[in-house]
Amino acid sequence: MTELRDPVHQVSPKARTLWRLQCAISGGVVVIGLVVAAVAWRECDARWWVVLAAALLAAAYTVVVPQWRYLVHRWEITETAVYTQRGWWARERRIAPMSRVQTVDLAQGPLDRLFGLATLTVTTASAAGALQVEGLDHDLALQLSERLTRSAEAAGGDAT
Amino acid sequence: MTDGPWLRLDPRMLLVHPIDELRKYVVPLAATAIFGATQGGGPFVAVVAILAPLVLGVVRYLTTSYRVAEGRVELRRGLLNRQRLSAPIDRVRTVDIAAPVIHRMVGLTTLTIGTGGVGGDSDELKLDGLTAAQGQDLRRVLLAERSPTPEDAVDVAPPVAQYEPGWLRFAPFTSAGIAILGGLLGAGAQLLNEVDIQVDVVAEDLAGEATTAVLAAVVGIGVLVLVLTVIGYLVTNWRFTLRRQADTWHVSRGLLTTRETSIDVDRLAGVSVAEPPGLRLARGARLTAIVTGLGGAQRGSQVLVPPAPDDVVRRAGAAVLGSDLPLMAPLTSHGPAAVRRRWVRALGPAAALAAVPVGLVVAGAPVWVLAVPAVVLGVAVALAFDRTRSLGHARVDGHVVTRSGSLLRSRDALADAHVIGWTFQDTWFQRRAGLTTLAATTAGGRGKVEALDIPQSRAVAVAAEVTPALVAQFTA
Repeated sequence: MTELRDPVHQVSPKARTLWRLQCAISGGVVVIGLVVAAVAWRECDARWWVVLAAALLAAAYTVVVPQWRYLVHRWEITETAVYTQRGWWARERRIAPMSRVQTVDLAQGPLDRLFGLATLTVTTASAAGALQVEGLDHDLALQLSERLTRSAEAAGGDAT
Repeated sequence: MTDGPWLRLDPRMLLVHPIDELRKYVVPLAATAIFGATQGGGPFVAVVAILAPLVLGVVRYLTTSYRVAEGRVELRRGLLNRQRLSAPIDRVRTVDIAAPVIHRMVGLTTLTIGTGGVGGDSDELKLDGLTAAQGQDLRRVLLAERSPTPEDAVDVAPPVAQYEPGWLRFAPFTSAGIAILGGLLGAGAQLLNEVDIQVDVVAEDLAGEATTAVLAAVVGIGVLVLVLTVIGYLVTNWRFTLRRQADTWHVSRGLLTTRETSIDVDRLAGVSVAEPPGLRLARGARLTAIVTGLGGAQRGSQVLVPPAPDDVVRRAGAAVLGSDLPLMAPLTSHGPAAVRRRWVRALGPAAALAAVPVGLVVAGAPVWVLAVPAVVLGVAVALAFDRTRSLGHARVDGHVVTRSGSLLRSRDALADAHVIGWTFQDTWFQRRAGLTTLAATTAGGRGKVEALDIPQSRAVAVAAEVTPALVAQFTA
């Protein structure tokens, strides 16, 4: 009774692939930039070692971080509350009672659309930030957002 | 609620607006007066430049109107870019009545309505130019206060806290003092740079009469900072009072601009006692309110007590919270792991920083360079010690109480009923040490009250005590 458990549901496994793609893209951009610099700037002898090190780091980042995030990212919606967990190195768990839910927002970026994923954002009246579930299957996210909107209305109150 | 007709602001604003506009245009006006005349622009330009602000003032007066109707307060303004603002009266959190100097001379006030919207300045519901009596009446309507009865006039509640001349001693310890000092030092450094004084030349001269000059400069700057902060404190906080009337807290203060803020009791979620090191040394503190629905933009209106003696602040806080325990009760410490984290986090970066000069000395730099790491480490130790001492939390008398920080130390108390959710944040290091940062989220202030590095089991226990049904379903 003294420990919080993880939320019940994991996000879609496709999210892991999406995150790998995102990490690979950002890592690749850095490495390509370094390669261009190494080609252009011939004075430094160790320049290819720097490129190699950066490439290894980027590869490790792409392998480790998406997997870690996939293990951490979880969500749960009960009759009375929303509970989310996200992050990787820094983990963040958020609990909000249904009666305090203000808006429910479904967002889909271009890459999300490619994978059929969506991000669900639930805001409360607090300025300290919203509850967010990334990498949900789009159809499921749509269902959840409708369910949340209905439950929040039923719970009533002016949410402050 | 009876429906009111559309009302104009007070016609005396016809006087205030042009003076305000003229003040804004003083520099361009002077420029036109001088250059317009000499460059043959003719008197036409000058006439336009003087008439424009006057016309603008009249247009503003004619196009602005407001009303209270159907449970809403509405404001129309603008000639070409018409704007219509409206807010339900039951969403009004605070009412702020201010009277800048020019307004005061003609007996007017400015009334600003805080509704907790997140819009910018242009969305602010501000009625600029009501008579003092109109302002008071409108405030009563907006905050749903009782109309004053004859008994009320006799029975004015004594203030919970009231300005005393002795409070001026806290002026130099406010953040304003540090900002002014920083500004002066920056300007001084700039000046030294400009005249390009060679450092070693100065060092040699220091032995001679230059010492007196430098000393005089230091003392001069000190006195200047002192005077500026005291004046600043006086201008802002002159005749400060905090009093409760029916269901509203009123804060009034100000020398040139008098300002009276009213906060609905139901919207007062909690208070923060800020105790920066300077104020603590002088045995002072500052009290602010956590007001539901008032975000960062309207922070200025949340002050409950300006820098004042510690016991005054605590008594005022107790009166506002309806209990003296949240600000008085001893706090539960966060344990040895949290203490270790304070020391590691203060000393780690300091050690890294100190390693550079040590390396330089090893490489042959003069020994006095070692003074730098000594100072850096000394500051880090002081900081770690103070941050350790600050850390604590409690759950007393229906309030979540947390304290942390050193330079920005504050003790926050948030009423259970205003907790609208929980956040548990922890890095891998924190998880390994069994700690987490617990935040009770709320609809006011910074949006949360945080317990830094609290043991995980305590975090869950505190959350479960405040909202048992909510947390119980997620515990294992």
